[in-house]
Amino acid sequence: QVSVLYFARSAELAGLRCETLSVPREITSLQLWEEIVKVHPRLALIRDQVIFAVRQEYVLLGDQLLVLQPGDEVAIIPPISGG
Amino acid sequence: MEENEDVPKDFIKLKSEKLSVDEVSELVVSPYCGAVSLFIGTTRNNFEGKKVIHLEYEAYTSMAETEIKKICRDVRQKWPSVKHIAVHHRLGVVPITEASVIIAVSSPHRAESLEAVMYCINTLKASVPIWKKEIYEDEYSWKENKECFWANS
Repeated sequence: QVSVLYFARSAELAGLRCETLSVPREITSLQLWEEIVKVHPRLALIRDQVIFAVRQEYVLLGDQLLVLQPGDEVAIIPPISGG
Repeated sequence: MEENEDVPKDFIKLKSEKLSVDEVSELVVSPYCGAVSLFIGTTRNNFEGKKVIHLEYEAYTSMAETEIKKICRDVRQKWPSVKHIAVHHRLGVVPITEASVIIAVSSPHRAESLEAVMYCINTLKASVPIWKKEIYEDEYSWKENKECFWANS
C-alpha cells in the first residue's frame, strides 16, 4: 500500500490530492502509471507530460523497476513551473 | 566575535505570506562578505495578449525543500566562497507585481554571489516541484517551465 499524491493538473484530473493504493511491491514505473490510470482514467490525458517522484526521487515513466515499501510516497509530477 | 558567525547557512522557506526583500537580504548579510546578490521573481500582468489577474502556486512542499537544499549544496561545491544562501518562495495567490520568489546569496567578492544566484534560479526552475497557475479573465493555465527536463517531449 502506497500513498499517491496528486499535484496541479493531475489533481484536477483525478479529483483529489492524495489516496492510498494497493500495488505490487515490485513494479515498473510504467506499470505503476497504468495501475493509477485504471482508478483515474482522465489522467491518461497527461501521460506524455508527467513523471513520478518515488520517495522524493524523480522517476521517468518506463521500464525502471521500483521496489516499494508500505507507506512509500509516490507523487504524480506534471511539468513544473516554480520561480 | 562568535565562532558560529563563520558557519555558512541555508535559509529555505515556502510561505503564503508576502515575501520581503529586506528580510531575505538581512538573512544572508555577513561581516565577512562584501557582496550580497539578489534575484526577485515578480508577477507579470500579461501573457500572449491575455490579461493576467493573478498567479497561484502550489508545491510538493517536503520534496521542494529537499530539492532546494540540493541546489544549495551544489552552489557551495561550485562556489566554495559563498557564505549564506536564502531562497524564499511564495505559495498560494500572488497578486500582480508582487514577488513569487526571492533568492539572496552572500560572498566575500561579487563574482561568486552573482553567479550563484543565477544558478539557483535556473536550477530551481528545472528541478523543484512547484507549480504555477496563471489566472486570466475567462480561463486559467498551468504553466510549464522550458527548463523542465521531462516536458515538451
